[in-house]
This record gives sequence, C-alpha cells and structure tokens, in this order.
Amino acid sequence: MAYTNNQLKLVYGDGSLGVQGHGFRYLFSYERGGLESLNINGKEWLYRVPQPTFWRATTDNDRGNGFSRKSAQWLAADQFSACTKVTVKIDGQVIELPIAPLNNRYTGAETAATAEIDFEFTTNTLPTTTVHVNYLVSPNGAIKIAVHYLGQADLPELPVLGLRLVMPTSATGFTYQGLSGETYPDRMAGGIPGTYHIKGLPVTPYLVPQDCGMHMQTQWLKITRASTQNNADNDPVPFSLTIQAASQAFNFSCLPYTAEELENATHHEELPLPRRTVLCIAGAVRGVGGIDSWGADVESDYQISAAQNIDFDFTIVPER
Amino acid sequence: MIPDLKWLDDPEVFRVNQRPAHSDHYFYKNSAELATGQSSYVQSLNGPWQFRYSATPQERPLDFYREDFDARDFDMIKVPGHIELAGYGQIQYINTLYPWEGKTFRRAPYTLSDQLTPGIFSAAADNSVGSYLKEFDLSPEFIGKRTIIQFQGVEEACYVWLNGHFIGYAEDSFTPSEFDLTPYIRSGRNRLAVRVYKYSTAAFIEDQDMFRFSGIFRDVNLLALPAVHVDDLKMTPSVDPDFKSGRFELQLKLSGAALPTAQLKLALFDQNNQLLAQQTQTAAEKVTFEPIDFPKVTLWQPEDPYLYHLQLEVRDQTGQLLEVIPYDFGFRRVELRADKVIYVNDQRLIINGVNRHEWSAETGRAITLAEMKADIATMKANNINADRTCHYPDQIPWYYLCDQAGIYLMAETNLESHGSWQKMGAIEPSVNVPGSNPHWLAVVLDRARSNYETFKNHTAIIFWSLGNESFAGEDIAAMNQFFKDSDPTRLTHYEGVVHAPELKARISDVESRMYERPANIAAYLEDEPAKPFILCEYMHDMGNSLGGLKSYIDLLDRYDMYQGGFIWDFIDQALFVVDPLTQQKVLRYGGDFDERHADYEFSGDGLLFADRQPKPALQEVKYYYGLHK
Repeated sequence: MAYTNNQLKLVYGDGSLGVQGHGFRYLFSYERGGLESLNINGKEWLYRVPQPTFWRATTDNDRGNGFSRKSAQWLAADQFSACTKVTVKIDGQVIELPIAPLNNRYTGAETAATAEIDFEFTTNTLPTTTVHVNYLVSPNGAIKIAVHYLGQADLPELPVLGLRLVMPTSATGFTYQGLSGETYPDRMAGGIPGTYHIKGLPVTPYLVPQDCGMHMQTQWLKITRASTQNNADNDPVPFSLTIQAASQAFNFSCLPYTAEELENATHHEELPLPRRTVLCIAGAVRGVGGIDSWGADVESDYQISAAQNIDFDFTIVPER
Repeated sequence: MIPDLKWLDDPEVFRVNQRPAHSDHYFYKNSAELATGQSSYVQSLNGPWQFRYSATPQERPLDFYREDFDARDFDMIKVPGHIELAGYGQIQYINTLYPWEGKTFRRAPYTLSDQLTPGIFSAAADNSVGSYLKEFDLSPEFIGKRTIIQFQGVEEACYVWLNGHFIGYAEDSFTPSEFDLTPYIRSGRNRLAVRVYKYSTAAFIEDQDMFRFSGIFRDVNLLALPAVHVDDLKMTPSVDPDFKSGRFELQLKLSGAALPTAQLKLALFDQNNQLLAQQTQTAAEKVTFEPIDFPKVTLWQPEDPYLYHLQLEVRDQTGQLLEVIPYDFGFRRVELRADKVIYVNDQRLIINGVNRHEWSAETGRAITLAEMKADIATMKANNINADRTCHYPDQIPWYYLCDQAGIYLMAETNLESHGSWQKMGAIEPSVNVPGSNPHWLAVVLDRARSNYETFKNHTAIIFWSLGNESFAGEDIAAMNQFFKDSDPTRLTHYEGVVHAPELKARISDVESRMYERPANIAAYLEDEPAKPFILCEYMHDMGNSLGGLKSYIDLLDRYDMYQGGFIWDFIDQALFVVDPLTQQKVLRYGGDFDERHADYEFSGDGLLFADRQPKPALQEVKYYYGLHK
C-alpha cells in the first residue's frame, strides 16, 4: 500500500508493534524490551535492542582512585538490567498493551500520527532504580528517544549514563558537528567546534584499553556503513543514519567495542576483531580527572551523582 | 693503574682518570668545517662493536681487554643502544622500588652501618656485564694530537681500556665521560675495550621511574685536541636592569703544548651575521676577555628566541688556525624579586611546562636528533614553553635545540633515590641516600658539577634542578650551594625538601611540589608563602587523563606567586614488539617481558603515545597553555 505523508502505518503484532512509513520499518519488541529493528531503506541498523548503559571501561585514573571498585554495581547493571514494563501510546493516548487477544480487533490498516513506546528498565543494583527509554515516532520516521534516569541517593556514583545502540556491522566512519578530538566534561576546552569526519571506528590506543572516544556537545552525528548481515543484500552502496540533538546537544562515543570488551583487555591486540558498531549516546559523562593516577578523584563538578534524576534526548532521522 | 672491581661497591669511587667536566662546545679545524658542521677533530665510534654478554661479573671474559685476546666468538652489537633491547638481559620497567626488589637484599653502603658492603654489586648474581670491543683505525687528522675518548652516556658503570692498558672508570649514566687516550693511542689500528656493569652503587641514586637498561646508549666519539684547545668556555651574557643594554663576558680554560704563544680571537655577531664586536687575547691556561658592552640588546624569550653568535678562533704563533668554536647565546635576565615572584626579562615567569624523558618505542632512551626535533616541534605547536629534563641530563643537542626554539629548561641533575625512602607510598627514610651521609656527598656533588659545567652556556636553562625524589639532607643542601656558588644567573629547584622543612632556607629557590591539589596550592599561597610556587610534576597523563587542567591554570590569574608547572609527562614509555599471535607490531609496557616486580602500565603517562602520535589530551594542553603565553 502507499503511505500517506502524515500517517504512520501500525502493525499490532503478537510480540511487537510494527511502525512503518515511507522508507522505514521499525519493530518495538515487547519481549525483547526495546526497539528491535531500525530498518531504513531495507538496511537494518540494530543488532540487539538498545540498552541503558551505566559502565565505562575503567580508566587508569578510575583504577587508581578506586572508583570502579566503589561503583562496581553499575557494571552489573550495564549487563543485566531488565525491561520491566512497556507502555504504548498511540496519538498521545495510552492504550493497553496490544497483545493477544487484545490485538485481534485490528485489521492491519491502522495508522496514527504518532506512536510512542516507553520501556522501563529496572537495574539490578541495591537498591534498584529505573531508567525509562521512550521512543516517539513521527510520520516522517524520525524517532525522538528520551531517556529518564530516576535518581537514587543510596547508589554509588555513575561511570556514565547513556543509551547503547549496537549495530550489526562495523561502520566505515562517522561525521559529526561538535568538538574536535576526544572530549570529556573536564577536558573539552581545547575542542574546536566544527564538523569532523572520522574514518573507521578508531579506539584510542591508550596502553591499557579503557574508556575512550567520547565526543561532548554534539549537534548531529551521521554514521555510515557499507555492509549488512542480510544474506539477500548485495548492494555495496554505503548507507547512513543520522542522529540529531533534540532539546540539547548530546554526547557520544562510536567504537567497535562495548565497555565490557574494553574492560577485559590489557592490550589492544587482545581485543576481539572489530565486528560491530557500538554507539553510546551519553546523557551524563564522568570526567577523566588528572590530578594524579593513584587516588585523586575527578573534580566534584565532573562526577555523576546517582542521587539526581538525569534526562536526555536525541532524534534518529532516517536518511532518504 | 690497576682497575678494581670493588669500585662497583664503593659510592666514593665514581670517576677514575676522567677529564673534568667542561662546556659542551663544538670545535672545528677551520671555517669550512664549521660551515658543514663536520669536524675532522671528531671521529665517531658509533656502529657495530664486538660484544659479549655475561649474566654475572664472575662470568665475564676476564682478559678481553688484552691485545692478544681472541674475540672471534664475540657477538656484534650496535652502539649506541641498550643491551636489553639487543636481546641480552631481561627488560624491566619499575618505578620507585629498586629493580632487585624481593630478589636481592640490599641496603646502600654506609646507611645501616659505617662500612661498605663487600661484593654488593661486584659479586652479585643480578649484575649483568657487557664486554664491548671496538677496533678502529685512527683518523689521520688525529696523528700527533692529543686524543680524547668521549662517552656521552653509559649505563651504569664502565671500565675502559685501550690497546691493553687500563684507561679509567666512570659512573653517572647521563653525563659525558671523557678519558685521555694520548699515552696509548697508535696511528693505525687500535683496540678499545669497555666493560659495562648494569649496577654499581650508582644504582641507589639512579632509581628513575623508567625502563631499566644498561649499555653504551649514547654516542661515542674520539676527539682530537689541537696544539692549543679551549677545554672550557664560560659565557656570561647579562642584561642590565633597564632591560635595554647588556654586557658579554667570557672566560676560557685552555690546554696544549703551544699554549703560551697562541692567540685567541673573539668575534660576536648578531642574528643577521653582522659583526658586533671583536677582541684578541693571548692564550693562557685561564683567559678572561674584557667585558663587551651591548648598548642595545635584543632579548631572548620563548616567543622570539633571539640568539647572538660567538665565534672563537685559536691560532698558533705563526697565525695558523688551530680551532674554531661557535656558540650561540641569548640575553635574558632571571630574577627572584622582593615580591617573591620570578621574572624573566622583567615579565612574570609562567611555566607552561612538561616533563620529558628521552624515549623511543624502538630504541628506548637511545633517541635520534630527528626525534628530538620532532619533540621540539610538538612543544612549540602546543604552547609548551618549558621542559624539565626529568630526571637526568639529556643528550647535548637537546639543549641547543631548546636555545634555538625558545623552550625554557629546568636542567635536572642525574639523581633519584626514591627506592631508599618511599616504600609503598609511605615515607620511610631510614636508609635514605644521599641524605646527610658524608660518604654519599662527593658523588652527588660531582653530578651537580657535571650538569652545571656541561650545560652552563645554554640560554634556555633558567633553573638548575638538584634531582628528583631523593628526600633531603645536607648532601642535597650542598648541591644547592654548589649551584649558588657557581651560577648567580639562574635559580635552583628541588621538590624533595618538602619532606625536610628545616632545610627549606638552604634548598631550592622555589616551593616545588608534585601532584598537589589546586586547593592546597591556594592554601599555601594564602598563608604568607616564603617562596614562589611551581609544580615540578602535575596533571598525571596516564591513559585517558588530563581532566581538570583549568583549575591549575586559574591559579595563574589568582596568584602572581603561582608560576605554573610541568605536566607529567611528554611521551609514554612503551616498546614495540611483534606480537607472536597476530604478527602485529604492538606496544608493550611494564610487566610485559615477564619481569617482576614491575609497575606495569604506569610507564604510559605521556601527552604523546610511545610512537609519538599525540594523545587526544594534547589539544587541551594547547588551549590552556595558550592562555598565558
């Protein structure tokens, strides 16, 4: 069928909500707990559903001042937090989760001006807290993703608070408008505003692999890939995904590895073959510190208190 | 003289038959040589040498220095280079603890008792030995002239023989050691033998945070001294309090058979090669030229490192040119004024500095001129205006390059003994050396003297640093006094006196600390500070670091007496190896050579990666160091 310009086509599946439009097809999975498929022009952009991310690979300074030990709960939360609630809103109205037999009433011809799906994650910390990942899809396919972290005073400081999107194959590079180089909240004055293209997915070669590649204060980011895992896809033409700032500039890192993969290596040659693209959009970034590497903490302005709510958002825009 | 292996065990034997330390001037036969920079008075002995590695002193080939010794089964090794990087002896990276930690029990002689410890190094199971042989044909230019051999760096103790005759002994890995070969040199083929020990008592005061190597790791040259030779030159360019005029003074020490009849001609030029002044003197063992007034001087400063040019000619009584000496110098005035602020050329000094170890991922501390030039370019491109030569004197060309580029130097003496008093982060100085120990005084004074005498003419040097992390006592106070007596034109620096506040009046012109938190610096400066404040090390750039530089830079605006600091440090220490699993060339750090005890990745604190690629933090340095140029 032909799509209208101002309506999304909805598919009320048994395990997921399909949201479609011209050139895009998204699957919000109730059982996987998130956006399972971000398919744009036939290319899949997600390897697994996006997860809140709470961990950064221990930096030398984090190790020296005991931060990772004190905040180790967040390493578990980074890997094992679970989606505990899904809420669906169609055209701004909450509907009961449309699974069988509720969805038997649909015909396959449903449309809407907006679809909003909210996934609540509960951390396996003591005590627990929640993170909501809210997707609001517009008829043009743009997805505004808003993340809300609920502050919990009894938890240790956070290494990072973000959303991790893992893509099935390695990007050939990315372009962004923001600050030059690798920047962190306490090390960004030297970043020169501009538009920068990064070839491949470089991992900064610190002697011990550790958190790296953060880009603060970004207006937009365009990631380009040239390969998929789809056996039927023989199209070699590179394709891109664009992420735009929503209510404020965003921070990101775009690497071939998760924090855990980096954490496990003591040398770069121990890292696995680069195979995926791991995009972390970070709402709160801990500074790197620098006073010394054997005890001094990051300055207080650049620590991430777990007690405060953290909100951030950004928009994924399909390229046409 | 008969060489004695026991010298290794005695802190009071550290130079035998060495020539006195002297200025690092170059000398040429004539202007044509000067123009090319190739002196026929210098014969390089760099290159392949015959070599035998012995794991212990007892296994060394005893007679290897004899002319009839059959060395056909020796290996070949490249000089300069480290023995460990040539595949002999285990590579080790360790920071504070001594390299023999947990393997050999050692206490520095004269600490727990008033005696030597026989065999502490001479009969040690961990003291590897390199026996080096070099056969060379003497350059025809040398025939009939005095011949000197100059080792620019040998780690950590060496005995030298020529043609079967013992020549001398040297310690101090990082300053030139020179011996007179004249009595034994032959025209034609000569046989040089050098025995290098990994350890001597010098090990107690060369405990720098670095990979631990041994061997002949800097250039080896033969020097031909003409019939009259300037052994030492001391320039004193001074700036008057009006900062417009100045004067130039020059003192020489000379030697040679034709001394009494030789003539000296001094000529001074500006940067455009315009002759400014000339003077002649008759040669003598000591010559002082008449002071030369400069009514209008162009000052040397980092933004415009203006250098004047000295040319000194030595001629014999017939007018025959014997040697030509060039030296570039600048006018700058360093003052610690009554307001307790350091000024250079009437401007408050602000140090946008960095600590720099000499390092190459391929060759360790045996670095090339190209690497030095690259480092200078990196510093200039990132607003770094000062270098602390941590924690030893660097190769001679580095000082010339800093003069030319306008990089302030804190010229550090080869002294670090933190293994003798820093134990697992705690301060425990019961066996500290040098301390106030009279048996360790001469050796540290000698190191101060070598540093001063070698580099005294370099405009870039504004501080003499007594060493690093060696605690403090009367011996270091004596080093301070040596520099004060020798050189009123520069300041002294030493951080370790923070541990001995009673010596603060006698050690260091500055309050120097390392890794101090910004709030504590402010607290010092708010509390009737006695001295201006400098961070000799700060912003520990290990891995992904260098956050929070702003808090330090802000202090520059709040306190005139806060005068900046030196980031730790310039370049990661890591070594290229080929990973056997992937065949990739990869960088390895401490502990990666199975050596224990090690300090692992603590070797990587640079603004540059070990391959000289910049770390991302460098742009932050460029920004903040650009705020107070």
